[in-house]
Amino acid sequence: MTDQELMRQCEMDTFKASGPGGQHRNKRESAVRLKHLPTGLIAQAVEDRSQHMNRASALARLRTLLALNVRSSVDLEAYSPPPELLRILPPKSTVRPSDTGPQIGPNNPKYLLGMQALLDVVFAVEGSVAEAAKFLGLSTGALSRLILANDSLRMAVNELRTSKGMKPLK
Amino acid sequence: MKLNFTRVCCPSNFSTFIKPSLCTNLHRPLCSSSLSSSHTSLKPQIPLFLRPPMHSATVSDLQKWHDWAKCLASSVGTTFLDSDNGPDSSLLCRELKWLVEDTIEDHSVLSQMSIENGKRSVRLRAGVEDLYNMWKQRIEERKPFQYIVGCEHWRDLVLSVQEGVLIPRPETELIVDLVADVVSENEDLREGLWADLGTGSGALAVGIGRILGSRGMVIATDLNPIALSVAAFNLQRYGLQDIIELRQGSWFEPLKDVEGNIAGIVSNPPYIPSDNISGLQAEVCRHEPKLALDGGLTGMDYLFHLCNGAASMLKPGGLFIFETNGEQQCKCLIKYLESDLRGSFCNVDIVSDFAGIQRFLIGFRQQQT
Repeated sequence: MTDQELMRQCEMDTFKASGPGGQHRNKRESAVRLKHLPTGLIAQAVEDRSQHMNRASALARLRTLLALNVRSSVDLEAYSPPPELLRILPPKSTVRPSDTGPQIGPNNPKYLLGMQALLDVVFAVEGSVAEAAKFLGLSTGALSRLILANDSLRMAVNELRTSKGMKPLK
Repeated sequence: MKLNFTRVCCPSNFSTFIKPSLCTNLHRPLCSSSLSSSHTSLKPQIPLFLRPPMHSATVSDLQKWHDWAKCLASSVGTTFLDSDNGPDSSLLCRELKWLVEDTIEDHSVLSQMSIENGKRSVRLRAGVEDLYNMWKQRIEERKPFQYIVGCEHWRDLVLSVQEGVLIPRPETELIVDLVADVVSENEDLREGLWADLGTGSGALAVGIGRILGSRGMVIATDLNPIALSVAAFNLQRYGLQDIIELRQGSWFEPLKDVEGNIAGIVSNPPYIPSDNISGLQAEVCRHEPKLALDGGLTGMDYLFHLCNGAASMLKPGGLFIFETNGEQQCKCLIKYLESDLRGSFCNVDIVSDFAGIQRFLIGFRQQQT
């Protein structure tokens, strides 16, 4: 989804009581709070002096929240990892075709989609890293390391594991 | 001058150190425009954050000023908000934080302000006396924060602004996105000649100049030579001298030589009805240039003029985007385009800003058949 499309699904809180705005007004309330209407998730940014920059930050944070919180169900019987997930897996993964390209990390804008797909698998196997690793052609250790390399991913997986009575990954 | 203010800061009783003039200002908002002395010189002022840190002060003197300034900001409460929808204390405190950021060379000092460091010296881009003056002007005269620090953060830019130049508004940021959308699917427009009419600080020119890249060209016009000197400073800071040309004059006057060849026109023309100006927030009506705000009786004088001009100045398929006061003005303009300028434009649309106000009129010059 493009930024524009995502913005359209959101309500921007800061602006409710603005009056005519535009040339009429000089009040730099640059803080932006976005509420994603379909899911109710809220992201905000206050650090920058420019509203535009805060909007961009809030949107980026919202995308992360969506990746962490919105799950798609996975058919484990016939599971084939989608391309966005393959891209975040290390090259040694046995399910990763050779033309996938280099492994992308958390700084890459496409990482979030891969993380979202990874979480779908982990949720489908109820938090078992060993099980998930099989579907991804990795050893349990390798998948563990991948999850621990990203704070948001680690927290989301551990929250699930704790809720299922499993020990958090360390 | 102002050194009285440093002696006392008593949170419980601010009325003793707000000057009486502040109170009268609150009850009788004046709206004469104030022109600074820089009006006569065309050398643009350097924004505070770009000035060399030639001044210094001890941490304790800086702390004293900061405490005084914070007290003064807090004492305002909601008085400005109630009187003319001005800023409240929390907004003023945020501005104070930004003022400090722009003034102090080494930001790590901010977290180290304590009694032990009292005698330590810090380098500043403005002297402590200037800081007292600046904040006094902010609170007592309602001088816009942006004029005090000499800049505005807008989109992903930091633009120099000063008295005589309209401070770019966050709403106007959207025009750059609209241009980006259109040219992403239209190479012909991307490589064409664009015009930013009434450029002011040059915000739109710089914004769209960065979108168009090296193959496009922008001519930015303004009646006011101060604005042009500020725009020149801004476009140079962003390395756009080869893409943006500045011309002085009224609206389309300086563009006669390119009539019929313009790929796109953007403008944020004055659109406030004359009678509404005196009721505006003091920062705006007392300090920002009327030339950039007053759109005549209905606020639409220049918008009509721009529509008329666009009909002859745009090349077939060329785009215009104008910012307005909102729904009423947009709808009125659409009616005008459909009646008096029938056949000149197509795909005319209204785009809302992030507050949901129908603020932008966008359309294309009819292709010749």
